[in-house]
Amino acid sequence: MSFEDLLTNVPIPRKISDSVSELFSGGDSPLFAVVGDLSLSGRYGDSALFVFRDRLVAVDESYENGYIVIPFDDIAEIKVKRMYGNAVLKIEDTKGKRSDVIRFTYSVADVCDSAALFVERIKAGEPVEETLEIVKATYKNLRSFCSKCGRKLANPDAECLNCKGKAKLINKFAKYVKPHVKQLVLCLFLSIFTTSMALVPPYITGYMVDEVIPNKNKQMLFVVILILLSVYILQFTVGGIRAYLLRLAGDKIIIDLKTDIYAKAQFLPMRFYDKTSTGSVINRINGDTSVLQTFMLRITQEAVVQAFTLVGVICIMLFMDWRLTLLSLIPVPLVVLCGRYFGKRIAPMYRRLWRRGTSLYSMLADTIPGIRVIKAFTSENRTIARFERYSNDWLQEDRAAAKTASAFPSVITFLITCGSLIIWFVGGNWVIGGSGGVTTGLLVSFISYASMFYAPVNFFANLNDTYQNALASAEKILDIINAEPEHDFGKGNKPGRIKGKIEFRNVNFSFDRSKKALEDINLVIEPGDVVGIVGTTGAGKSTLINLLLRYYDDYEGEILVDDIDIKDIDQEYYRNQIGYVQQEPMMFRDTIFNNIAYCNPDAHVEQVLHAADIANAHGFISRMPDSYDTMLGERGVGLSGGERQRLSIARAVLKNPSLLVFDEATAAVDSETEHLIQESIERLIRGRTTLMIAHRLSTLRKANKIIVLDKGRIIEFGTPEELLKLQGKYYKLIQIQSMSDKAREIKESENLEIAIG
Amino acid sequence: MTSRRYIDGPEAKITVNDGIFVDVEFYDGLKIEMLEPKRLFPISGLTKYITLLDSEGNEAAIIRNVDNLLPESRETVLRCLEEYYMIPKIRRLINRTEKFRIWLWTVETDRGVHTFEIINHIISIKTLYDGRILIKDANDNRYEIPDVSALDRRSQKLIRPDI
Repeated sequence: MSFEDLLTNVPIPRKISDSVSELFSGGDSPLFAVVGDLSLSGRYGDSALFVFRDRLVAVDESYENGYIVIPFDDIAEIKVKRMYGNAVLKIEDTKGKRSDVIRFTYSVADVCDSAALFVERIKAGEPVEETLEIVKATYKNLRSFCSKCGRKLANPDAECLNCKGKAKLINKFAKYVKPHVKQLVLCLFLSIFTTSMALVPPYITGYMVDEVIPNKNKQMLFVVILILLSVYILQFTVGGIRAYLLRLAGDKIIIDLKTDIYAKAQFLPMRFYDKTSTGSVINRINGDTSVLQTFMLRITQEAVVQAFTLVGVICIMLFMDWRLTLLSLIPVPLVVLCGRYFGKRIAPMYRRLWRRGTSLYSMLADTIPGIRVIKAFTSENRTIARFERYSNDWLQEDRAAAKTASAFPSVITFLITCGSLIIWFVGGNWVIGGSGGVTTGLLVSFISYASMFYAPVNFFANLNDTYQNALASAEKILDIINAEPEHDFGKGNKPGRIKGKIEFRNVNFSFDRSKKALEDINLVIEPGDVVGIVGTTGAGKSTLINLLLRYYDDYEGEILVDDIDIKDIDQEYYRNQIGYVQQEPMMFRDTIFNNIAYCNPDAHVEQVLHAADIANAHGFISRMPDSYDTMLGERGVGLSGGERQRLSIARAVLKNPSLLVFDEATAAVDSETEHLIQESIERLIRGRTTLMIAHRLSTLRKANKIIVLDKGRIIEFGTPEELLKLQGKYYKLIQIQSMSDKAREIKESENLEIAIG
Repeated sequence: MTSRRYIDGPEAKITVNDGIFVDVEFYDGLKIEMLEPKRLFPISGLTKYITLLDSEGNEAAIIRNVDNLLPESRETVLRCLEEYYMIPKIRRLINRTEKFRIWLWTVETDRGVHTFEIINHIISIKTLYDGRILIKDANDNRYEIPDVSALDRRSQKLIRPDI
């Protein structure tokens, strides 16, 4: 049979299709297949799982005939056991015997999950076609790759930004140079002018040596010196103007580049930040852009000027004496060969140096904002020691790079000097012997031109060093510029005020493939519902919220708001409809007023005061000496946790959102503050669909529905009364919590008594 | 909080139950079945501090050092760990190509030849202080190069720019 149309993660290898084709010749074809990449013994190899309506066929070299057939009726339990770097599909048969069916790496784990889920659901009596749709969703997600470059896309129809306008490296950065092209062209002309001026003095020197000084012509000497002075004044004045204009253009280029990278960084998905340290991003915005700026200016300016000098000097040298010119070319091939050799050696060194530098930056980005923790744990010396270690790593790498980078110019200069020595030796003999028509003045003048000729050769040979350094930086910058931004497929689709119905359909999600963070999430929340989300740490509560907020888009299944897929709604509009209050709200280094008005900078003063009132924040703000003008430190330093939380609620009030999300808003505050926050929350949630993650179940007293999550699955969902009757996990949590609440109350009252006493 | 139970050496007999699961019988007669050995330090301590978890993920005991166990117990635990942790050791880099910022590596490992993708080589390749190199591919599979200097010259040349 042909497997061409079969739903599968990768094409079925011929070896497997040959081994099972006989088995499938009866007309009954599999619904889908999973091609594995490990044998059961753990070696890389082909394996497969064919899923039929009523059975599984597993293919692995360890099976007697190369495969086994497992009817669904024989399966009591089926699941994917994720291990470290690999996983197995395990079944337990109706006699209690456990066995591994196929083994695979994480690359295949998601599709195997859906195969296990399919079997479970069919055995539970669910319709095949409906269940197959869930499997198809997983495969669809898996196939969301660009056919050209293989890059993962947000959905199968998405345009690959990587392949769109695939310009070369130089073109990527040329757009930053283009706006300043007039200024750069002017600089170029000025450079050519100064270079032309620089070509004059050696010629005049030769004339002086041959004509003016031997003839003792003082008048002529004065004229020649005056000409030289004029040339130098012109050369250095124009050179200064050029340097100023060039710096202006360079600064503009770097600002444009930094702004672009920073802007791009704002739209990168959370996944990027999950994996990339902030230090590394800061290093790219600051350090790498400067390296690139230097390179761009060298290419657009110096390279052209040096090329002009090279051609000009060669022409003059040929005009003066073609034989000496040929002699001066002897070291050139050696210089070029050295440049190529050096380039190959230095490139990996610069990359390693960049890595060490990034580690250093990351450590700084971690420890400087965390200085309070460092002091609290008196770990200043340990931190310094760690910094020293990272610095030494950098130094070690820098030493290796410096050795090569410093040796190269010396070698080049030596070769150039050898070239000059050859000219001195041959030309000197000609002058002494009076043969060859070479005069002393011509020789002196020629030697000056020769040194001018070697300068561009040296420049082009060294350009490789700058190029390799810039290339290392460009790579890192491109990592950000080319990174897939958050997709906004529904751009422009603003479906009016959201009523607040939320639906999760067959949602599965994992941060990495080693563990499913959410599995088989199905739930419907009606408009105006106040839904509490409870569960132990790591159960998937925040992940559920992260998906609703569209921080991650690459989940399987669908999330709908008012029956519209959230991916089809304009992202900015959608996020604007959601008020989000975090456990540790982020405050910026700005005034309290601006922090509240963060989402709505044009808000009227009274709107902000009203929002602060509702959030129970106005009282403490007005008691502060600078009141709403109080300048907060970085991350809100200067406020208590409860105060920051109330500002965050005020922010949400000002936003007037349709949906509200509270992520453990009262987790880190005392009972009194909790009461104040609770009060403000209750004012805010009226008439709005609200999701509240809470460790303290007392926070959920207004909730009319409760979701209980455990290991990424919804294990209970219903009204609080229904769940209490169920006497399951929620019931247990309530019992544990009421005990600990009593203990806390006693402790707090004791503390109060001590304080009063 | 209950005190943690450590296994130092011969006070427990460990036998295989099913694949990666073991049964542990302590000298005081206590027997716990179906425990899963897992490394507490999968990168820095391969044979030290192995936790034994039950099906709920609760810890039954910790083996301080596998090397101090009874020989049969040691073999059992090591086999389970070997089965659980798949970190192929790269012996040779056959090919390393880059296209549109995606690196495609074809390698020869102790588990056979394999090709995988690395999306971001800056964060996916880590050099540890003991000189080992850990690699994570686009699908979060792990690989290890125990000693770069032991690789052939071509492999070293291919990997040098990334470390």
